[in-house]
Amino acid sequence: MSTMQSKSFSKRYFDMKANKLRYGWEKAKRQKVCYLFLAPYAILFFTFFILPICTSIYYGFTYYNILEPARFVGVQNYINLVLQDEVFLTAVKNTFVIAVITGPVGYIMSFLFAWFINELPKWLRAIAVVIFYAPSIAGNAYTIFSIIFRGDAYGYLNSILMDFGFIDAPLLWLTDPNYIMPVLIIVILWMSMGTGFLSFVAGFQGIDKSMYEAGYVDGVRNRWQELYHITLPSMKPMLLFGAVMSITSAFNVCDVPRALAGYPSTDYAARTVVTHLFDYGFSRFEMGYASAIATLLFLVMIISKKAISAALEKVGT
Amino acid sequence: MSENLIKSKGTLYIMGKKVAAGELNCRQNNATFTDKKGNTVFEFEYAHIRALKNVRNGGMTSTITLKMADEKEYVLMLNTGVKVHNHIHANWPLKPTQKSRADELHRLAELRGEKIEKPKKHLIKRRHPNRSIAGDIGIYLLLGIVALAMAFPLIFAIGSALKPLDELFRFPPTIFPQHPTLDNFSDLIVTMGQSWVPFSRYLLNTVFITFFGTFGHLIIASMAAFVLAKYDFPGGRTFFNVVVTALMFSGYVTGIPNYVIMSSLGMIDTYWALLLPAFAAPIGLFMMKQFMESLPTALIEAAHIDGAGEFRIFWSIVMPNVKPAWLTVIIFSVQSLWNSSAATVIYSEAKKTLVYAFQQIQAGGIARTGQAAAVTVVVMSVPILIFILSQSQILETMASSGIKD
Repeated sequence: MSTMQSKSFSKRYFDMKANKLRYGWEKAKRQKVCYLFLAPYAILFFTFFILPICTSIYYGFTYYNILEPARFVGVQNYINLVLQDEVFLTAVKNTFVIAVITGPVGYIMSFLFAWFINELPKWLRAIAVVIFYAPSIAGNAYTIFSIIFRGDAYGYLNSILMDFGFIDAPLLWLTDPNYIMPVLIIVILWMSMGTGFLSFVAGFQGIDKSMYEAGYVDGVRNRWQELYHITLPSMKPMLLFGAVMSITSAFNVCDVPRALAGYPSTDYAARTVVTHLFDYGFSRFEMGYASAIATLLFLVMIISKKAISAALEKVGT
Repeated sequence: MSENLIKSKGTLYIMGKKVAAGELNCRQNNATFTDKKGNTVFEFEYAHIRALKNVRNGGMTSTITLKMADEKEYVLMLNTGVKVHNHIHANWPLKPTQKSRADELHRLAELRGEKIEKPKKHLIKRRHPNRSIAGDIGIYLLLGIVALAMAFPLIFAIGSALKPLDELFRFPPTIFPQHPTLDNFSDLIVTMGQSWVPFSRYLLNTVFITFFGTFGHLIIASMAAFVLAKYDFPGGRTFFNVVVTALMFSGYVTGIPNYVIMSSLGMIDTYWALLLPAFAAPIGLFMMKQFMESLPTALIEAAHIDGAGEFRIFWSIVMPNVKPAWLTVIIFSVQSLWNSSAATVIYSEAKKTLVYAFQQIQAGGIARTGQAAAVTVVVMSVPILIFILSQSQILETMASSGIKD
């Protein structure tokens, strides 16, 4: 009896599934036009964004140098990365330090300054947005820091510090492994108010003013209470978008250390995961090994995005 | 009901934009607007009509404001879309704008010789009841200091570009040049003239790539964004979620497999290697889709009822209504294409981009310090200028940029 019941149940279950599929197919057929519109983008997107991720995961398990066909080596690349490649461990440490500092600090800075800017009169706000946003779109303007932090006495920072008598001899900001990381972090923070910052500025302007008025009546006493109880909950979508942008820029640091600290840098002090990937991929053509690095990096980015969206769920409730 | 409730002359605004001047005839739940020649320009069906202005600045609603000659404003809340009967002239002769009631009263009072007391202005205005003035001052100070720190490197770059050679290596170094000169820029032109490939070629390459990359991206991404935003079809939502995840793929993570894919498609050392990935940039689709969500569905439904096909709806109804988003997509695309040096996929010198050529000049070492600064200024000024010119439109688009989980 019980088997009969379970059979009929499973049969019903599969019937339901089949019906759902058929229904979905019918629906899809009726909306052919939608797929037609999506097709050009979807094909290109698949070829240049999805396929690379998949092949990168595949090549991560092979030895591949473009000239010979890829040879399957199992998890050897990953074992080498973790157990033998000391430079990779340095790179992971550096990337971690950069990501943990510039990611959250850049994110919070973007949010706070967008909030402060929002209180300014309109004309001043427009100017302030340009000043804060400009560094992130200024192309390779960060190369100017190589003059500011230059290691000889003509370097701007060195000359100021020597003028005031803090130091006697010029410091090698971009060559001494002790100073490279702080300098890089400052430069990356300078560039960190990008698309996420713009999204915050726009988000603040879009909040319904009547909510604030209701807040005064309900006894919101100061700006911090207003921020936590009214502003943050209505900014959640922007906060998530800003977080995605911050993660991307925090983990993909590559151009700045290469331009400022040299490539390779002294003692690999400015080596990041992406410069390491670049080194193996485009200088040594060990594509399999580089793909393994890319796969790991990608995994870490997805995990941190999930973690942040879970954390944002709890904000302002 | 066919009796006229309101019959009045005035100007018709749709979504805050002036469209036509003429006469309005309102009935119980529909209205017609006729222009000066007596042609029917618009026919509306609405839920209700009220004399209130509630269209938010830049917002997208299916509300229509009618400004009448008697200074009244009528807001029509439409329950179906707008039917367009006539093609409307762009240069419709419009009446001079009406002065506000307060201005009129002031004018009359002045004519009578009365003196008007102006409201006192406070030096520091407390704009919100729950803001402390000390906090405001602290925030302004902090903003000012940080803004200076943010702007300093850029100002320093511009200053260095204007310094003559002897000032570049002066000790102690200065921020502002004492004898500003454009020598570095003219030197740059001389160096460019000596390059192996004529410099105009690099410029042409960049302009070509930027223009076609942006154009193709705009069309392809908008088409996809349109169906993702306005139709519910199997797989659509999943696809968009994948695109949101793809916002995190940087050029470096996908760079190596992309190289392999491009070489197997025979695209290495052609412009396609730059153009095709740019067409599919996730940020453009994302912005477009989020902005299109706010378009009233009634607009599209009305066009469907009138028998317009999907492509016509897309081209003549949706696209004209999302111009701020166009601009944002164009700017993001131009920024990334303008700054791409493409050194890994393009090998022929004659196909390389302007930024690549500039970087070669910059790599020239100490002797080219001044020229390098000039290059920095040239490269950074293009995206910053574009941003300054289009800031308000970009911010309007960014307002819908959030990710709903």
